[in-house]
Formats: sequence, C-alpha cells, structure tokens
Amino acid sequence: MEQQETRQLTFHGEGAKLFGIYIVNILLTIVTFGLYYPWARAALLKYMYEESELEGSRFTFHGTGKEMFLGFIKAIGIFLVLYGILFGAAATQKPTIMLLGFAVFYIGLLLLIPIAIHGALRYRASRSSWRGIHFGYRGDRKELLNTFVIGSIITLVTFGIYGAWLVIELRKYIFKNLRFGNITFSYEGEGGAFFWLNIKGYFLTLLTFGIYGFWWVKDLFNYYVNNIRMYQGETRLAFRSTATAGGYFKLLIVNVLIVVLSLGLATPWAIVRTMQFVFSNIHIDGPLDVDAIIQTEADYTDATGEDLADMIDIGIV
Amino acid sequence: MYNFSVRYHDGRLSIAHDATLTLMPDHWLIHYRDPSGELTSVRWALQGISTDENFSNLFIFRYGEFPQQTIECKEDSLPQILRKRYPEKVFFRRRITDIFKLNNTTIVGVALAVLMLMGLGYWFGLPWLAGAAASRFPVSTEVQLGDTMYENMIRAYDVDQGLTAVTNDFAKAIDFKTHYPIRITVVKDKEANAFALPGGRIVVFDGILRKMHTKEELAALLAHEVSHVHYRHSLRNIFRSLGGYLFLSLLLNDINGVVTVLADNSNMLANLTYSRELETEADSKGMAIFKANRLDLKGFVDLFTVLKSARGEVESLKLLSTHPLTADRLRAAEEMVKGQGQVREDERLERKWEAIENELK
Repeated sequence: MEQQETRQLTFHGEGAKLFGIYIVNILLTIVTFGLYYPWARAALLKYMYEESELEGSRFTFHGTGKEMFLGFIKAIGIFLVLYGILFGAAATQKPTIMLLGFAVFYIGLLLLIPIAIHGALRYRASRSSWRGIHFGYRGDRKELLNTFVIGSIITLVTFGIYGAWLVIELRKYIFKNLRFGNITFSYEGEGGAFFWLNIKGYFLTLLTFGIYGFWWVKDLFNYYVNNIRMYQGETRLAFRSTATAGGYFKLLIVNVLIVVLSLGLATPWAIVRTMQFVFSNIHIDGPLDVDAIIQTEADYTDATGEDLADMIDIGIV
Repeated sequence: MYNFSVRYHDGRLSIAHDATLTLMPDHWLIHYRDPSGELTSVRWALQGISTDENFSNLFIFRYGEFPQQTIECKEDSLPQILRKRYPEKVFFRRRITDIFKLNNTTIVGVALAVLMLMGLGYWFGLPWLAGAAASRFPVSTEVQLGDTMYENMIRAYDVDQGLTAVTNDFAKAIDFKTHYPIRITVVKDKEANAFALPGGRIVVFDGILRKMHTKEELAALLAHEVSHVHYRHSLRNIFRSLGGYLFLSLLLNDINGVVTVLADNSNMLANLTYSRELETEADSKGMAIFKANRLDLKGFVDLFTVLKSARGEVESLKLLSTHPLTADRLRAAEEMVKGQGQVREDERLERKWEAIENELK
C-alpha cells in the first residue's frame, strides 16, 4: 500500500507570551481611550500567525496598526451614522418616522454583514503570507451581497430552514475565490446534508440533556474541514479532520475550568489550547509541492472590512 | 563575523533557499545554490531593507516592492552585530512589546499593575466620570427627559387626582432648596413606595401615605426624593451603568461568553452598591433640608419605622436591594435626632397634612 502523503499545521504559541500581549494591549487600549485597539489587534494577529508553522516555515501577518486604524475610524463612522439614524428617528416620537428609522437601521446592518465579510476576507488574505507567497481573495462584493441578501430573505420566509443551504453556499463562494499563490480551493459541502446534520444534532442534544452537544460540535467541525479541497495545478488535495467528541469534551471542560477558576485571567492559555487542538486535528492529504507555489496575488490595504467584521463579531479565521 | 545562515524566499516562488547572508558596508549579499546547483547571489541595498515586528527570536527582513523578497534568521547575535555594523540605520526599533522578551517577573509585575489600574478605574474612576457627565447635562434637557419617562410610565398607574393636589400643596410649604420644578403625583398602589425621576417628577404610592401618622414623615419622604432629584442621582446611575457596561465590553472584547456573563453580573452588583451610596446620600441631604426648615428629624425615624414594618418580612432577602437596609437607616436617623437643635412647630404645614389625612379617609 502506498503511503499517503499528509501535512499538518503546528501551533507554537505559549500562554505566557500571549498573556503578556493581552495585558499590554489592554493597558494601552485603556490609557488611549480605545484608540490603540487597531494596533492591539495587529499585534495579536502577528503573534498568532508567527507561531503557526507549516513545513518548517512560519506564517506572517503583514497588516499594520495604521492600516487597521484607518479602517477602524471608517467602521466607527459607519456605525455612528446607523445609530444616529436609529436614535434620531426614535427622538421624533412619530410612528411612521420611527418605523422608517428602524427599517433603515436593520436593513443597513443586514447589508453591512456581507460587505464586512468581503472586505475582511480581501484584507486578511492579502496581508497573510507563507514563505513570501501571499494569500488572496478574488470574490466580487456585489455577488456576495446578492447571495447573502436573497439567501437571508429565503431563510426568513422558510423560518430558518434555508439557513443551512445559505451557510454552505457562502462557504462555497468564499473558498472558490480564495487563493494561496497559484493554489486554489473549493468547498464540497451540500446544504441538505448540512441541514440534517444540524437537525440530528439539535434534537439529540435536547434528548440527551446537552451531552450529545460534543458530538454535534465535532460533526460540525468535521463537516467544515472534510469538505475543503485544495488544488495545485492538476493535483487535488483534501483536508481531513481527526477531531473526536472526547477530544472536544476534554478541550471544553478544561478550558472552562481554566477561564472560570482564574476569573478570565488565564484565557490566553485556553486560546493556545484551542489553537493546538484545531491545528493538530487538521490534516492536508495529498502530494503538495511546497516549493512550487507561485506568487499571483496583488496587494490590498483597505482594512475597513476587517474592522467592521470585528465590530459585528464575525469570526473568519 | 559578518556571515549568517538564513532562509531566503524570492517572493515569486514558495521555495525556501538555505542561504548565506553577508553584511557588506552598504548592502547585504545573499548567496545560495538554486535547485539546479547553480550558485546565485542577490544584492539588497541597505535603504530598501525593512524589519518585521516580531515576538520571538526569529528575525525577518524584507526587501523591495510587492511581492517582497524575505530572509529569516534565527541567530540571536544578529541584532547586536547589525547595530555595530550599521550604526546609522535602525533595524530594531524599540517597542512597548519588547517587554515580552524580558523575564517573567516583569510580565507578572506589569500584569498586576494593569489589574490594579483597571480596578481603580472601575471602582473610583467610573463613578467620578458618571458624576462629572451628569453634572454637565443641561437642566432643561434633564427635565425634558424626566417628563418623557414620566409620560411613558404613568399610564401604567391609576393617578389619585385629589391626593396629588393636596400633596403638591403640602410640598410647596417646605423650602427644598432646589431649582428643579418639584411635581408630585400620587398613584393608587398598596405598596409602601415612592420614587423620583430626573428633572423633578416624584411618584408617591398612596400605600405609604396611609401608613404615615405625622407630617414630618411625609416631609422626610419628600426631602429624600427631592435630594435624589437635586443631586441628579438617576442620571448618575444611568451614566454609571452605561459606563460600566462599555468599560467591561471593551475589556472583554474577545474573551468568551462565560466571563462576559460573570462580568455582567458583577457590574450589576457594583451598580447596586453604588445606588446604596446614593440612597444614603439622599438620606443625609434630606435631613439637611429638615434642618434648614427647622423640622423635627424624628420624621425620618418614624418614616423608616413605617418602612421597616411594611417591608419587614422580606428584609432578610434584600441583601441585594438598592436601598440600604432600613434598620441601618433607622439607626443613622436616630443618631441625627440626638444631635438636633431647636425645632419649630409649623402650623401651616400641620393644616396641609390634615388636608391630606382628610383626603385619605
């Protein structure tokens, strides 16, 4: 039998170092009344990337506090306008204007989500590299916006059922447009399978008083990872997850204990544990030629999407 | 001495070349054997080289425009030698994050200092800021705000017009020493309660009036509520809890849900103790109004006795109540009575109290 070629990412971060970064970030963010926040985020991302390794080389995050500060200011401006409309409308005390204000506010927020996802992906991908080769995202904002808005409306009309298909469709779109040099990706999940996975997970979790939740989370993680494909020219590479419910159980219980018993102070150690768990459970199977990835992507420095996504609390990586 | 082993990436292909870096006077020379075995060398002019911000002992340098060439070096002696070789160029700028490269004692020290600072800011800085923000709030806006709140909430109550009229009349006979327009509304509710809104609106439940026996008790209640209005306690409370919420959510931005829940609850607890302080302040300011009007402070003692009997059975559960324990307030009031000077029997006020008693029948 031929030995299957497989590769893994490794995470070398240390809780103590991450703790130090958190502390300084918090301190500077407080004394600057929040203005330091973009630099804090940049430092954190730089550290996390720097401690992630593939084939003996570390990843790099090139984003700077300055870029992210500009995005931060723009994102705050956008939110101020939206909230201004909401409160302005509420202050008039006139039902029609109030209703209109609410509508503008929520539709604005809904539109902001895909815009933030698009911007964040473009920025984050462009500012990430490995061995000098940059990632990239070539998606079209309008296309994503259409998919998202139409999908949200169908989800609303079908009482949430279409949500599963929407998630898969978004994943497909994002991976289709993701680049790592000349390497391309795809996502092979299907809405139907994903929907039944969630239905099964939901009801079994209810029936077992939450115990099945660990299997559900494992299934969701595996469904995400196992459906990612990577293509280098004609070569197809598959992602494979080895996460187990037991592993999740251990990770979660210990993390909760760490965080609660330390009153949150030891959170960086919990984050390191989570990263190690995620990385150690993802395998990239197939004959990847790590020396032959060709630089193809262009530079992109607008961080507004990244900051918006951060404010709406959308996790991308 | 000026040779280092590095890994070189040319920015076009992901191959990592094991290379040698030589520090020349005005440029860096990087040479390596490419996969076909040919010796290749690259020249980096000094002014085009930039250093990556890093947290570990892996030093990364970049050169040129996008896509940049990079070298990675793991030799610890590099920064020192670079400083010696090129005194005019700064490769490693001092940064605040450099302290992570120091020992653990420093990190722990900094961590403790930050925690203390945060604690001080939360417990002392925030209430002070809330007070400062509240005192800068224009009075007219505050009155407007209070009236809006009043309009919205009074619909839920059954207003007693007769009692409202006589009680307002009673209040006019006392000099509360405030520039706020004091407007009292009496509502039908069995509970022994009263509260003040920002801007001078006071709502009194007729339940508490029915339990009173003297005019001083009502005067004490009103003096307490007017103090809330005059010292803008509601506003301070709103600013305080808003500030606390902002502070915590800023802090815990990317910490997971468990901590957020814990923190939210502790913020609520902190608000409770803060409003207890405000209640105590309203008591003492109310007593000051009594002194200025030369009213008998025993009114406070009687009022608290009424409250105590009305709420007595649940008192033990009220550890988290917004008001200080009635027993404590009673004790404080009794202390004040001992020290009070000449009191005057106010006939006019007595007449008005009788009017209220008549209305209550």
